[in-house]
Amino acid sequence: MSQPEGLVLAEERQGTLNRARTLLARRTEGRAIALLTVVVIGALILEPVVFTSWEVTLGRIALIGLVALGLTAVILMGELDLSVASILAVAGVVMASFDNIAVGVLAALAAGLVIGAVNAFFVVQVGINSFIATLGMLFFLRGAAFVISGEEPVRISNIDFGVAFSQPWLGPLTPRIVLFILAFVALQVFLTRVRVGREFYAVGGNREAARDAGIPVKRRVYTGFMISGFVSALAGVINTLELTAADPTAGSTVLLSSFAAAIVGGVLLNGGRGSVLGTLLGATSLGILQVALTLSGVQVDVQNIIIGGVLLLAVTTDPTNLKVVAGSAREFVQGRFAAPRERDGSTS
Amino acid sequence: MTNETTTTPTAESLEHAAGEPDIEKRQFALLGWLANSGIIVFTIVLVLVAALLIDGFATLANITDVFNRAAPIGIVAVGMTFVVVSGNYLDLSVVPQVATAAVVLIAVSNNTNIVVAILAAILVALVYGLANGVAVGVFKANAVIVTLSTTFIGLGVLRWLTGGSIYFGPPDGPIQAFGQAKLGPFPLSMLLLIVITVVLAVVLSRSTFGFAVRAYGSNREATRLAGVSTAGVVIGAFVITALAAMVGGFALGAFSNTAVSAMSTGYEFEALAAIIVGGTSVFGGRGSVMRTLLGVVFVSVLTNIMVLSGLGFGVQQMAIGALIVVAVSVDALARKAGAV
Repeated sequence: MSQPEGLVLAEERQGTLNRARTLLARRTEGRAIALLTVVVIGALILEPVVFTSWEVTLGRIALIGLVALGLTAVILMGELDLSVASILAVAGVVMASFDNIAVGVLAALAAGLVIGAVNAFFVVQVGINSFIATLGMLFFLRGAAFVISGEEPVRISNIDFGVAFSQPWLGPLTPRIVLFILAFVALQVFLTRVRVGREFYAVGGNREAARDAGIPVKRRVYTGFMISGFVSALAGVINTLELTAADPTAGSTVLLSSFAAAIVGGVLLNGGRGSVLGTLLGATSLGILQVALTLSGVQVDVQNIIIGGVLLLAVTTDPTNLKVVAGSAREFVQGRFAAPRERDGSTS
Repeated sequence: MTNETTTTPTAESLEHAAGEPDIEKRQFALLGWLANSGIIVFTIVLVLVAALLIDGFATLANITDVFNRAAPIGIVAVGMTFVVVSGNYLDLSVVPQVATAAVVLIAVSNNTNIVVAILAAILVALVYGLANGVAVGVFKANAVIVTLSTTFIGLGVLRWLTGGSIYFGPPDGPIQAFGQAKLGPFPLSMLLLIVITVVLAVVLSRSTFGFAVRAYGSNREATRLAGVSTAGVVIGAFVITALAAMVGGFALGAFSNTAVSAMSTGYEFEALAAIIVGGTSVFGGRGSVMRTLLGVVFVSVLTNIMVLSGLGFGVQQMAIGALIVVAVSVDALARKAGAV
C-alpha cells in the first residue's frame, strides 16, 4: 500500500542524485584544480621564489608530467603501466652505451616502443591483467638496466652536448620543457581530434561495446602502451642528457609522482574518463608542491610522505568510487533501519 | 578486424576443440596441469639439478643459509596470499611493513623492553592493515595504487624517523637468541614459517572467513549479494598480510640482530613471485597457502643457485620479473582455454 509512495520518493531522490553525479562525472579536472589552488596559494605565501625561478619549477613539472602524459593514454583504456619507471632507466642506459648520441637516442626511443609493444602483447594476446604484467616488467627491466650498465652509472659520450641540453633555450625554457609542451599538444590533439585517439575513450569506457562498434580494440591497446613506452623512454633520454650520465636506479620516485599527477588530474583508473589537460594540471600542482617543499628545506622522505598522501587521497576520492561507497552506505543504513528492499546491484 | 568482433574465449576453445580434438585436449590438459601442479615437479627438479650440478649447494651450511633467507620472505608470502586470493593483486607495502617491524622490534626493545616492542609493532601492523583494507575495501580504490602510495608514505616515515641509521640489538638479548636458535639445519624462523603456514592454510581453506575470501576473489558481486560483508573480507585479508609481514620483519631483524629501513627491498616481488609460481591465481578466488610455501622454496632455491653461480643482482631481478610474467601467462592461458 505504501509501496507506490516509496517508489516515487526513491525516484525523486535518484533524480537529484543523478544530476549531481553527472555534474561530478563531467568535471574530471575538479580535484586537480582544487589541489592546484591550494598549492599555488600556499606557495605564494610561504615560498614565492617558486614563481620567480621558472626554470626550476617548469623543469620539475615537465619531469613529472612527461611520464604522466604517457600513463594517461594507457589509463584511459582502463589499463595500467607500472613499468614506466624502469623503461626510463633502461632507455637511459641504452642511450649512454652508444658512442654516437643521435644513434643512442634513436635506440633508446626504439627500446621504449618495443617494451611498450611487449607489455601490450602480454595484456592483449596472453590476457594477463596489466597491473601484474607491467609489474613483472618493472622488475625485469630494472634488472636489465643493471645488466646493461654493469651495475653502475654510465657517462654519456658527448658531455658538452648534455651540458648544452640542460641550458635554457627559449627564454626560461630548457629543451626538456619545450619537449614536454610539444608532447602535451601532440597528445591533446591525438586524444581529442584524431579518430584513433578518440577511440581510446570508447575502449576504456566499454570494451565490449567498442568491439561491437568495429573498433580494433587490440590495436588501440598496443598503440596506448607504445605511446607510454615511447614517452617514458623520452623522459629517460632527457634525464640522461641533463645529468650527462645514465643511472640504472633512476625513476623510482617518478613512478609515484607521475601516477599521482594522472590520478589527481581525474583520469579514472577503470578507464574511459579523464583528460590530458587534467594530467597537466595534476603535474603542475605536484611540480609546484615539490619545488616549494624542496626550497623550504623539507627532506625527500617527507616529500614522499606528502605526495604518497596526495595519491592515496586522490585514488580514494574518485567520484565513481565515492558513488559506490555512498551506495553501500545507503544500503547499509537501509538494511539496518528500514525494511529490506531489492538491491540495484550497481557496483564497479 | 573481424576476428576481434565476436568470440569469447570459451566459445573459441570449443570451436577449436571440434576441429582438432587431440591436440587441443593435450594442450588443455598440459596447461591445466602446469597451472595446478607444475610447481611440485619443478621444485623437485630444480633442487635435484642444483644438488647435482651446482658446487656448494648440497652442503649443510648452504641449506641453512637458504632457510634463513627463505623464512622471512615465506612468512610475508603466505600472509600476502590472502590479498591475492581475494582478487586484489598484491600488497606492495609489505616492504615498509617488514622493515618497520624489524626497526620497531630492535629500537624499541633497546629503549624499553621486548614486550612493549612487540605491542608497538602489532599496533603498526594494524595501522597498515586497516589503512590499506579500508581504502581498498570500503572506498573501492585500486589495491596496486593504494599500496603504492602507502609504500612511499611508510618508507618516508621510517626513513624520516630513523634517518636511515642501522639499529643493533644487544649481543646476548632474547632477539639474538631467537635469531640464532636452530633445530638441526632448521633455523627457528623456518619452523615459525611452517607453523604460520599451517595455521593460515587452515584459516583459508577451512574457516568461514577463508571461504568468504575465496568467494570474494572469484565473484565479488555474488558474494556481496549473498550477504557477506565485502569490506570486512578485504580488511581482514590486508590485516592478515600486515601481521604476517610483521612476523617476517621480526624473523629478518632477529636473524642479523640489526634493523635498517632499506633491509626489505624487493620483498614485494619475491613474495608475489612465490605466490604466483605456487599456483595461486592473480585473478583471485583460486589459491592455497601450502602452494605458496612450495613457491617460496622454488624462488629461494632459484635465487640461491643464481648467487652460487656468481650471477649479479641485475640478472637475479630479471629472473624474478620473468618468473612472474611467465607464471601469470601460464595461468592466463589455462584460464582462457578453460583448463582450470
